[in-house]
Amino acid sequence: MKPAAFDHLSPESPAAAAAMLSEGTRILAGGQSLGPMLNLRLARPERLAGLSALAQLRDIREERGRIILGAGVTHARIEDGDSPVALPPMLRHVARGIAYRAVRNRGTVGGSLAHADPAADWVTALTAMGAEVVLLSGSGAERRVALPGFVRGAYRTALGPQEIISAVEIPAAMRDALWGYHKLCRKVGEFADAIGAIAVHPASGHLRLVAGATGGAPLVLSGLGDGIARSGAHPGPAALRSALAAALPGADRVKLQLLATALDRAIAKVIPA
Amino acid sequence: MNAQSLVSAETAAEAPRAIPVRLTVNGRAEEVLATPRTQLAEILRDKLDLTATHLACEQGVCGACTVMVDGRPQRACLTFAAECDGATVETLEGWEGDALMDRLRAAFARNHALQCGFCTPGMLATARDLAARLETADETRIRHELSGNLCRCTGYVGIVAAITEVIAERDAAGIAPVAPPPLPEPAPPAGFAPFEPVAAPQPEAAIPQGETRTEDGWTIVRRSFVLDHPADAVWAAFRDLATVARCLPGAELGSTDGDRFAGHVAVRFGPITARFEGEGLFAADDAERRGTVTGQGKDRGGQSSVAGELGFAVAEGASPGTSEVAAELRFRIEGRLGQFNRPELVSGLVDHLLAEFAANCSALLSGGPMRESRGISVWALARAAIAGLFRRR
Repeated sequence: MKPAAFDHLSPESPAAAAAMLSEGTRILAGGQSLGPMLNLRLARPERLAGLSALAQLRDIREERGRIILGAGVTHARIEDGDSPVALPPMLRHVARGIAYRAVRNRGTVGGSLAHADPAADWVTALTAMGAEVVLLSGSGAERRVALPGFVRGAYRTALGPQEIISAVEIPAAMRDALWGYHKLCRKVGEFADAIGAIAVHPASGHLRLVAGATGGAPLVLSGLGDGIARSGAHPGPAALRSALAAALPGADRVKLQLLATALDRAIAKVIPA
Repeated sequence: MNAQSLVSAETAAEAPRAIPVRLTVNGRAEEVLATPRTQLAEILRDKLDLTATHLACEQGVCGACTVMVDGRPQRACLTFAAECDGATVETLEGWEGDALMDRLRAAFARNHALQCGFCTPGMLATARDLAARLETADETRIRHELSGNLCRCTGYVGIVAAITEVIAERDAAGIAPVAPPPLPEPAPPAGFAPFEPVAAPQPEAAIPQGETRTEDGWTIVRRSFVLDHPADAVWAAFRDLATVARCLPGAELGSTDGDRFAGHVAVRFGPITARFEGEGLFAADDAERRGTVTGQGKDRGGQSSVAGELGFAVAEGASPGTSEVAAELRFRIEGRLGQFNRPELVSGLVDHLLAEFAANCSALLSGGPMRESRGISVWALARAAIAGLFRRR
């Protein structure tokens, strides 16, 4: 099907794009999630402000011990390591698993985070990596929001009505992190049914264990994660299941089993059984 | 002037203006005028008569419309007019004298890599990318990469064989792959010495989830909440439909005689918006302190419909002066929104809506301000479901 009519706006800067946002105006980043919703006419915005011409959003650089990915960097560039600074292997690995190459060639990391689909990869993977999202307002003011907390629920984020994501900052230490990422899907490239993610960097005291595709915001299992850090041991499937059941009281058994399995396999990629 | 031309004249006045799009297609510079909603696939097929590019799902899943844009395979159904300005596009009609594409065409024919041929234009665009990009012809990798191009005839055996052969021919002919630096294979699990973790930033305390289940095609979301007001006072508020409606984010009561009512619910769920108009019935049982709002409605243009029932029961709370409210929302969405086949997201939103309903009830009873939900891209489909509340039969 074809989208309902919309007008296209071409902002001259990221801040100008944020200033254009209103009730009927949405951002078009890569359009790989919004596009299907437009074509199905589930989304019928009056205007779309396109970001693809804004080169400053495609920058990748390193400052203050952080790798800064412009919001407009595509998944394919991350997959290919097409960057002036080395990217953490976990980042490249996760990028390769996103949808299909043709989608990765257009879809962007900022667009995926702003869309905040619970089953998408970046919301969960970047939470495990301790990333921060840089939000830019129409007035040019910036603020940073840590990833647990940026996503509030399905399609709900901390973005204000006139804010866009300008960049994602990842601790450079994540290059040396031990990591595990496991995604369960019915078909390669489909939305995930469950995601397990863990990133460990003992030198900086970082251990983040995250369950994704819960139907809501990524779930940081901090109690279990702290236990893994202090013991260096895999908590085992039973402990994973009970922690998930306690954190997601409304979830059905199948969901809990899928999430426990994804977490179990992700942890097993870091800690030998 | 006939009716049809009147309609189109009116539509034309309102429609966003066509924009000029300059692009290079198969080596030729082209300039077309297209409205912003025009997909690249439509520019190719309808404006440039390049009909090899096929359109099927238009959701980015099937891969039939895959073409090369600036040297990379992309979905021509998910690329809109303004985004193609300045692009260099190669379609199946092009690739003249391309060593890899010539070999792929021959290999596809040799290996019976197509039957009906519908997927083939997109399949060849993806195959061209793989033949140029993959360092080696690893079958698992090729199959994973082909997951974005659906073929319902061949079972992929011939397609994988054709790509494998062409990669071998490429290597034999001394054509270097354009492979990016290889992705390091994850190291085998080595474990780590125990350490003291640094506390992660804590997100705002999440509101506990409600219960969700499905039954005969209906989704049921249930949530209980405690209000710091005696049950009688709570019931006195809840037995009034106008009060209940005020607590439902996005709902607006139109006309009512106390039992039957009409109204609308505005829904916003991420980029999805809908406005359901409908009518319904309100019933209250004073003895049991139970109420139900049933209703059904349609959104603009009748593209989706929703039916639902909100039930709530007020009981004395565990401590004096408090009450416990059990709210249950049953709903069913049909039509376009129903095609949005992500039931857990929808029920998550409805649960969020019930949480907002609870917060609003509490605020209303305390005389505090209601949470303003309009204009925040949050309370979403929930409202669609809520819409459910407001419509029946």
